[in-house]
Amino acid sequence: MLEVTDLKKKFVKTDKKKRRTEFYADNGITFKAKEGEVIGILGPNGAGKTTLLRMIGGILEPTSGEVTFDSLGFKKNELEIKKNIAYLSGNTKIYNTLTCYELMRMCGEFYDVEASSLEKRIKNISKILNMEDFLYNKIGNLSTGQTQRVNIARCMVHDPKYYILDEATSGLDILSSQVIIDFIKEEKKKNKTILYSTHYMEEAENICDYVIMINKGVIIKEGTPDKVKKDTKTTNLRDAFFALIERNGEDYNE
Amino acid sequence: MNKKLYTILKKELKELFRDKKSLSMMLVIPILIPLLIIGMSALFNMQINKDVSEYNKIGFNYELNEVEKSIAENLEFEVVVKSDEELKEEYENGNLNLYVLKDGNNYTLNANDEDENLNFSLNLVNAYFASYKEYLQREYLSDKKINPDEVINLITVKENISSKENENYFSKYITTYGFLFIIMAITVSATYPATDTTAGEKERGTLETLLTFPIKARDIIIGKFLSVTVSSVITGLLSLVLFIISLNIAGSMFKIYEGVSLMLSIESIMYALIVIFAYSFLISGLCIAIASKSSSFKEAQSSLTPLTFISFFPGMIAFMIDISSSHLLSLVPFLNYTLLFEDITNKNVDILNIILMLLSTIIIISMVLFIIIKQYKSEKVLFSR
Repeated sequence: MLEVTDLKKKFVKTDKKKRRTEFYADNGITFKAKEGEVIGILGPNGAGKTTLLRMIGGILEPTSGEVTFDSLGFKKNELEIKKNIAYLSGNTKIYNTLTCYELMRMCGEFYDVEASSLEKRIKNISKILNMEDFLYNKIGNLSTGQTQRVNIARCMVHDPKYYILDEATSGLDILSSQVIIDFIKEEKKKNKTILYSTHYMEEAENICDYVIMINKGVIIKEGTPDKVKKDTKTTNLRDAFFALIERNGEDYNE
Repeated sequence: MNKKLYTILKKELKELFRDKKSLSMMLVIPILIPLLIIGMSALFNMQINKDVSEYNKIGFNYELNEVEKSIAENLEFEVVVKSDEELKEEYENGNLNLYVLKDGNNYTLNANDEDENLNFSLNLVNAYFASYKEYLQREYLSDKKINPDEVINLITVKENISSKENENYFSKYITTYGFLFIIMAITVSATYPATDTTAGEKERGTLETLLTFPIKARDIIIGKFLSVTVSSVITGLLSLVLFIISLNIAGSMFKIYEGVSLMLSIESIMYALIVIFAYSFLISGLCIAIASKSSSFKEAQSSLTPLTFISFFPGMIAFMIDISSSHLLSLVPFLNYTLLFEDITNKNVDILNIILMLLSTIIIISMVLFIIIKQYKSEKVLFSR
């Protein structure tokens, strides 16, 4: 189980006049994610989703609060935790000079996958993701859709327990996005825990078991998609989000 | 070497050897060494063995007597006799190397110091007047019934300047500059891959991917550091090989190296290899440390530019003002490598200096890597963009 407790991240911003201002990108985020759950982290750009997922993925250190995976914290068990995580973001870039095979092999070695089973896994994953035709091509020569499949493949190579997907469909066309959506659905069937951040509310409604809506670094609503819609008396998550921020007296046209 | 560090190094080397710019930095710069060695040798040779016809056109504003004509002929003068104004005009048009204006017993040598052949012309004309002056002195003394040899050769001066076997000014000069160029080549070769693997990786967005893997910051940094060192060592070794080949070609091509062997001994080559390896490690560590703090490729390249100068200038200055190596100076980074190269050139290497240089290099690299590993996980380094 993944447990996030009162997670805060403070940044210091310096303006043109070199005045320093402190602000919290995330301010007291708490939630739990059980096995087999797809948790949607929803919110507009700048809400604090990426910072939150980076802290959960062990890339950023929280200012305060705690993240535990199966009761293990990052401070003492960083490498052990990371072996069970796959992190994929819309900004995630992969090495253009390597071939897909080389990248998957490299990832397997990083995750301590045994050499004997690594070959089998690479072949199996490339078959599942329909990558066999370009497995030995350099990543820099692939299309966006093919690159995204390679990105998914490198996440799957160590068979992680937890997936952290940050705006993974951002900037992708409808076909490439569908590859990600299908991947999430498949992994959910395998009882994997998936954190999925997006600002596409319809997409989240389609695949998430539980949603956490964030705005300006704080949770403004959480629950199953149906509960959120019911509580806000709306018919979709998009309207629910607007209803919530209007209720807080915010003008979303700002 | 642990497995993950090995994987990082493998990945970095694949990227390095598949990147055309990194490859060209690594391999093309050493090719300039033969050009430098042979070019400079040709220049020295040209200066020393200048043909007399390039500086022997001397103008006079008076007719030379028979004795003067004979001396001028012996010194291969091309004599031009014209009026003052005409001589000035001829000189300005480049038809004369120097002209002499006579006023009674006073002779004035006229020329412009911008003329590259002036020293040769001056030496020639001074030799001419020395001979003519001696002739006049002998004539005068003979008229006075005095033996000129007793007056003119009252004292004799002989030159007895010993020189070390197999050494001359030009061979020392060319060898020292060659070694300095190797240092510069290694520096330039380290900067590009160091920038690419740190700031470049940040700019391309692959650093975030790398950080999601269960790898220690120490392994990431050391892997990157070793890959940059490999690039620097390749450049250093290639430069050394081309340097030795060029020295041998230059030695057989140019008269200035006559009687001198430019071939480095096996011992000298071994010492040179130690210095090249040590310098490659140091410069790679420094480049990685500086570049990893930059947020973009461009910023990293700007930050590394001073390092290129810093690596080269202490050596240049040491050579110019003739600083010799010492135990203390062997601990001073950058200067120590140049001074050791100079010792190798002079076949005068103190093993203790080599040990102190290695010690200083190891301490500096350890400190630099320790600091950068500590800082590598900070947000300022990772997400400064």
